[in-house]
Amino acid sequence: MSSMLGKRAVSSFISLMVLIVLVFFLSRLTGDPAALYLPVDASEAMRDNFREIHGLNDPVLVQFTHYITDLVCFDFGDSLRKARPALEVVLDSFTWTLQLALITMALVSAAAIALGSLAAFHVGSWLDRLASGLSLIGASAPDFWIAIVGIVLFSVTLGWLPTSGTGTVWHWVLPIAVLFIRPFGLILQVVRGSMITALGSAYVKTARAKGVRNRPVIFVHTLRNAMLPVITVIGDQAAALLNGAVVVETIFGFPGVGKLMIDSILQRDFNVILAAIMVTALAIFLMNLLIDIAYALLDPRIRT
Amino acid sequence: MKHTTALAGLLLASTTLSPAMAQENTDVTVVLAEEVDLVEPCMATRSNIGRIVLQNISETLTELDVRGDKGLMPRLAESWEMTGEGTWRFHLREGVTFSDGTAFDAEDVKHSFERAGSDQITCEISRYYEGIEITPTVVDAQTIDFATEPAQPILPLLMSLLTIVPSETPIEFTRDPIGTGPFILSEWNPGQDIKLTRRDDYWGEAPEVSGATYLFRSDAAVRAAMVQTGEADIAPSISATDATDPALDFAYPNSETTYLRIDQNVAPLGDKRVREALNLALDREAFIGTILAEGTQIATAITPPTTLGWNPDVKAWPYDPEKARDLLAEAAADGVPVDTTISLIGRTGNFPGATEVFEAIQAMLSDVGFNVELQMVEVAEHEQYYSKPYVEDRPILVGAQHDNSRGDPVFSMYFKYHSDGRQAGFSDPKVDELIEAATAATGDERSALWSELFAYLHDEVVADVLLFHMVGHARVSERVDFTPTIATNSSLQLSEIGFK
Repeated sequence: MSSMLGKRAVSSFISLMVLIVLVFFLSRLTGDPAALYLPVDASEAMRDNFREIHGLNDPVLVQFTHYITDLVCFDFGDSLRKARPALEVVLDSFTWTLQLALITMALVSAAAIALGSLAAFHVGSWLDRLASGLSLIGASAPDFWIAIVGIVLFSVTLGWLPTSGTGTVWHWVLPIAVLFIRPFGLILQVVRGSMITALGSAYVKTARAKGVRNRPVIFVHTLRNAMLPVITVIGDQAAALLNGAVVVETIFGFPGVGKLMIDSILQRDFNVILAAIMVTALAIFLMNLLIDIAYALLDPRIRT
Repeated sequence: MKHTTALAGLLLASTTLSPAMAQENTDVTVVLAEEVDLVEPCMATRSNIGRIVLQNISETLTELDVRGDKGLMPRLAESWEMTGEGTWRFHLREGVTFSDGTAFDAEDVKHSFERAGSDQITCEISRYYEGIEITPTVVDAQTIDFATEPAQPILPLLMSLLTIVPSETPIEFTRDPIGTGPFILSEWNPGQDIKLTRRDDYWGEAPEVSGATYLFRSDAAVRAAMVQTGEADIAPSISATDATDPALDFAYPNSETTYLRIDQNVAPLGDKRVREALNLALDREAFIGTILAEGTQIATAITPPTTLGWNPDVKAWPYDPEKARDLLAEAAADGVPVDTTISLIGRTGNFPGATEVFEAIQAMLSDVGFNVELQMVEVAEHEQYYSKPYVEDRPILVGAQHDNSRGDPVFSMYFKYHSDGRQAGFSDPKVDELIEAATAATGDERSALWSELFAYLHDEVVADVLLFHMVGHARVSERVDFTPTIATNSSLQLSEIGFK
């Protein structure tokens, strides 16, 4: 198992390095932060001064060397826009994103696995049809639309929930509900499909023939075997959330990392872009590691 | 049945509770479109920062009256006069203290000026003082002289932009702004909110508002909904499509002017007939009340009608596609390559409906025979076309917005039209002369020179395709008494807010 994890770690590290180099050149070659930060009528002297203060006048290769050495020391510098350490800016918003992602994924996984298993066990029943219907709606409705409709319905018309922002537990309801829908539909379908396959397999037939009852058949024999593809999908969906739920963050004014990244890319706030990428990449790397461990725990064949 | 009663009860409770609670408090909540990531006094000319800082936390020596017609009013300076060639003397108000308890005096003004212009930080305010040699001299605690070279007739107006900080303020961006204004920054949760609280020891009249919370939501529909549900009191900027409630919504000129900048260096745009045809081809009236909000004005100048020297005699271009076709044919006969593909550059999200506006313009131009290709780009790419050095491999029209609510054309003219201006699309010696003369002039002479320039640019040079003076929409809750004006785009004085 450790050799498998080691291999994974090495390949993740290599992709991270490629990413770091790409980020530097793509962001620097596509726009001048001085032009974006300063007002349009700022003079060339002001722009030059701005570049000088932030080390943007150096040759690109010199900047690249600084970039790499700073990175090794885990020093991301200050945000151009916010005049405070970039890493601090990113960690602030990442904490929000992490909470949002964890709560949403926990709820989604529990609900989708429970409902998906039941649907698979009663293929063609009303429950099965309901589950399929829900997942279809979830996978096809655009989330910005659901978010706006949710605000109009639950905040403006009914007055039950706050429209947006943070502060109380009620502020979390709408963003989580909107984020819940799409992965729920997707994971539900995977659980259902995978369970149906597992239920039709020889070992389940054998267990049934031995007189094992329904509940142990689902939870002991089938679920564990059916979980491998499900975990893959859960991992994918969680990674998407860790990158920031841009639409939901934008609409609900949620101070997460997705909107921060978009804003800093538009403003070419290099240090924040870099810090945000490193933090989210690290988080996704750790999450993939957890998934690998979960695989290994579920399926002994993978451990070797 | 039981459920419906319970729900109705809940609804009733929630609707009856909130107004009762609202009556008692004198705090307001303002919801802004863009997160304010810096509360630095010397950046207050940036509109989102200005709305929080300007005259709330930090004050200026003078203040431009944009609501009435009082012109330039005293604020931290009680009076000012020109004492000699290019030297202005300001007499400062006595008994003013900063929120940290220190007294306000001439040294603070000197330090604020020098700090804003320092090359160790990039203060936006300093751009208004560029190209002028300004030397502040402290005469006594309540008097300061500013010697200007060349003589600066509008220095008192420029002083309406310089926010005053205590002389101890370090020359780096502060996260704890100290000012003489009626409010202090009491809480700041980055990404979430900023809170201001009223001071007890303010020198002037105490505002009715006791505290303000600023929230940030990028979605206009959400901002409008927040005022509707009582989560916010003022949303200074919502979109026209959300401004559906006449009881809450106000339209106000937002001081932005939309126009197409023409780079005359590339054929066929160097030909005046072609530029006239561009102007004649557009049915500007057709945009108003359809894609753009009712109340939008057709522009004849780059600055709004409230600007000094704005010329009422300049007439907007009529919609005359026939004449446009004739002019193009005439130019073509003289060998001007009128069928060259012209790139129209627009910026996505520049203003609500920007894409639709530029698509309509493209269609109207094509209709008279222009060959126009529309390119909608993001802000960083837009900047590459907007400012010098220009992309000159093909003829380009740059769609853009310009904001000047400062009352004087000087803030626009040099960089939009002077040969050395960063965004000038042409070079004309008479324009340069007029700009230089007007910049140095005072009083009626100044106004007359600007008027002459406005007419010359519009009728003789046909410098650009001027489109619209834009309208913004604000939503204000029923419990507060506040009317947005052209100033709402750059500041939001809490002392101007009352309660009904």
